[in-house]
Amino acid sequence: MNKMLFADPDKCTGCNRCTYVCSAVKTGQFAPSRAHIQINNFPHKGFAAPSICFQCPGAPCHKACPANAISRNADDVVVVDAEKCTACGNCVTACPYGMIEQNEQKVAYKCDCCDGDPACVKECFSGALVFQEKTPALVKIKGLQMKQRATEGLPAEKRHQLGKALLLLSRD
Amino acid sequence: MLLPGLFVSPFMKEKNMNLYVGKLLVVDLTKKKISTEPLCQEWIRQYWGSWGLALRYYWDAVDPEVDPLSANNVIVIMTGPFSGTLMPLTSRLSLVSKSPHTGTIFTSNVGGAFGPELKYAGYDGLIIKGASDSPVYLKIIDDQVSLEDASALMGKGIFETEECLEAAVGFTGAKTLAIGPAAENLITYSMIGSESYRQFGRGGTGALFGSKNLKAVVCKGSKSVQVADMAKFIERVTHYKTENLFTEDNLWANSDGTAVLVDATNEMGIHPTRNYTAGISEQKDTLNSDAIKAAKLSDRACAGCPLGCGKFTRIGETEVEGPEYETLCLGGSNCEVHDLEAVIKYNRSCDDLGLDTMSCGSTISMAMEMAESGRHDFGLKFGDAEEYLKVVEEIANLSTERGRDLAMGAKKLAEKYHSADLSMEVKGLELPAYEPRGNYGMGLAYATSERGACHLRAFTIFSETPFDIETQVQDVIEAQNFNGIKWSMCYCDFWGSINTEITAELLTVGLGEEVTAAELDQAGERIWNLSRLFNQRIGFTSKDDNLPGKVLKNPLKKGPNAGKTFNSEDFSAALQFYYKLRGWDEQGQPGAAKLAELGLDQL
Repeated sequence: MNKMLFADPDKCTGCNRCTYVCSAVKTGQFAPSRAHIQINNFPHKGFAAPSICFQCPGAPCHKACPANAISRNADDVVVVDAEKCTACGNCVTACPYGMIEQNEQKVAYKCDCCDGDPACVKECFSGALVFQEKTPALVKIKGLQMKQRATEGLPAEKRHQLGKALLLLSRD
Repeated sequence: MLLPGLFVSPFMKEKNMNLYVGKLLVVDLTKKKISTEPLCQEWIRQYWGSWGLALRYYWDAVDPEVDPLSANNVIVIMTGPFSGTLMPLTSRLSLVSKSPHTGTIFTSNVGGAFGPELKYAGYDGLIIKGASDSPVYLKIIDDQVSLEDASALMGKGIFETEECLEAAVGFTGAKTLAIGPAAENLITYSMIGSESYRQFGRGGTGALFGSKNLKAVVCKGSKSVQVADMAKFIERVTHYKTENLFTEDNLWANSDGTAVLVDATNEMGIHPTRNYTAGISEQKDTLNSDAIKAAKLSDRACAGCPLGCGKFTRIGETEVEGPEYETLCLGGSNCEVHDLEAVIKYNRSCDDLGLDTMSCGSTISMAMEMAESGRHDFGLKFGDAEEYLKVVEEIANLSTERGRDLAMGAKKLAEKYHSADLSMEVKGLELPAYEPRGNYGMGLAYATSERGACHLRAFTIFSETPFDIETQVQDVIEAQNFNGIKWSMCYCDFWGSINTEITAELLTVGLGEEVTAAELDQAGERIWNLSRLFNQRIGFTSKDDNLPGKVLKNPLKKGPNAGKTFNSEDFSAALQFYYKLRGWDEQGQPGAAKLAELGLDQL
């Protein structure tokens, strides 16, 4: 069975080491705004929820791409071929979690699980991020997150909506 | 695995210096003028960042005689070379100015994520001058910087101000520095809050903003921090994180947070209780780490910190991140309030209204002792949690006579009611929660800190010879010099095993230039001496390097140090030995040889 990335908001401390290392690995600089994972931090409520790409079955970004630039690889990870990307941005609109974005040249980028060895997971000391085969408990956590779909807004706003919804679920 | 598919985008074309941005944001509130200036290259290798660089900039910016709350005073806020990188526990941010509470120069630092955010917005630091004629907040969205009307925010607490600002800038995750009503009222122990529960806590930072009509700073950054060799930088950071940070010296922060000190200081007999009357609390279990764990909802971390020492708690309807050790003691056992729910409410109220929980707690406990000893009845009694919670709001809002009295802080309150013998402060700053009669090093640390009684300059509580003056003096000087560089690198205090060798190695990899531990060690001493020089120019002398009368004269009660004082003779001997080892004269004035050695002789 393939390993997958899972995020447990109840263990996330909001430290953002995942976004630091992700941006370093993907862009060569520390630039969390450009990370392929994001943290929705709610300091006032003592809560933080990672936004990760769920590598959705029937991925909306994949379906929305008119140029066959998005595909699913052998590890079941949804990947972008930057060479084929026509910079249309349809995938960004389609993703309900705000987890595919465009760089300055409008080329789409998203989490590719670092070819099966995600840098973010190795930085997560609290265990909020794991990369492993699925378990019933992890599938349940992921299922709850995947229900929080946002159809409107910029990626950051979609992620914020997911974070707010998970905060309510966690603290009720 | 590292750096797969690295591509060069326009995003990377804006080439900064390595580790630094190389640019400061300068805001003149009188002229409503916003500008930038290059970071002074010459000072980087002498002062490095955060405390050191802010201190050097402040030195040039003001006359030492400046009134702290006047438009002529300047606030310098500075990040460090590691801010915003993967180097752990480096997200703190230092502020340097002259304190309205003590009249000394001072630095205060805050955790959270504002520091890295400021750097991502494209600035190593922020210099705030002048004073606005109407309430404003400073909005920083990368290169878009503006002063905005804050009239609608005035009177609001820090929590609501943060919420309003995030909505106003339209960015989720914008970071803020904000003040509450206590700072608008210029209370000299008001603070600047960030992310609700983190503060530039001590010395009256809030009143500095208040005096400038600056309600808040809100920041969102989307740029980057660059290093010379990313793959090696990550490899070295990972090595020291695993081998040095994740060790017994530091992991208490993860498992317990600062509440672990409640049991530890009680065991040592240095846990201030009943306004520094006793050295232990017989009801410590109500406020110790186990009590915090029972109320805990989650662990919380500053940006880039894997330890997550913040313990977010809830009892009943009240939530707070903390309370931290200082609040558990100075707002707890030192007021004989042995009820965690009450201390959580106290903590939250101070955090929202904008008061330093330490100075506030110590002032309240003194008022309780004044009432008990018949000096003046403020309607406050040891253990009366209801009145203690009420008076916090009265202080912040200056809404009652006792609130206005206590808003002066311990020193001035004692002066007004002829109770100097009960006041627990040095240079006007109330003592932290470590009893000097049970640890002479802490006494010396309090007496010689640039900002008055402070535990973040030297912290000798774990010494095995707490009454041996010679080793205590040596330990204090070593710690003060080291902390000079530690706060300049923005390290958190809780990386207890970090040293200048590791720091020099990471700076070398990050900068791409050779940095040695020796030059960092010397920078720490330089920073300490420069602060001293500033205070000397204001007129502070060795007479001000003193300890409260209680510490010198009144035997401590209860616990292993019962009966002990730090008597004047021992204290004076310690102080003179301290000056001598520092290369200062008998008046505590840095000597010409020392200043020349540190390159400070031309200042």
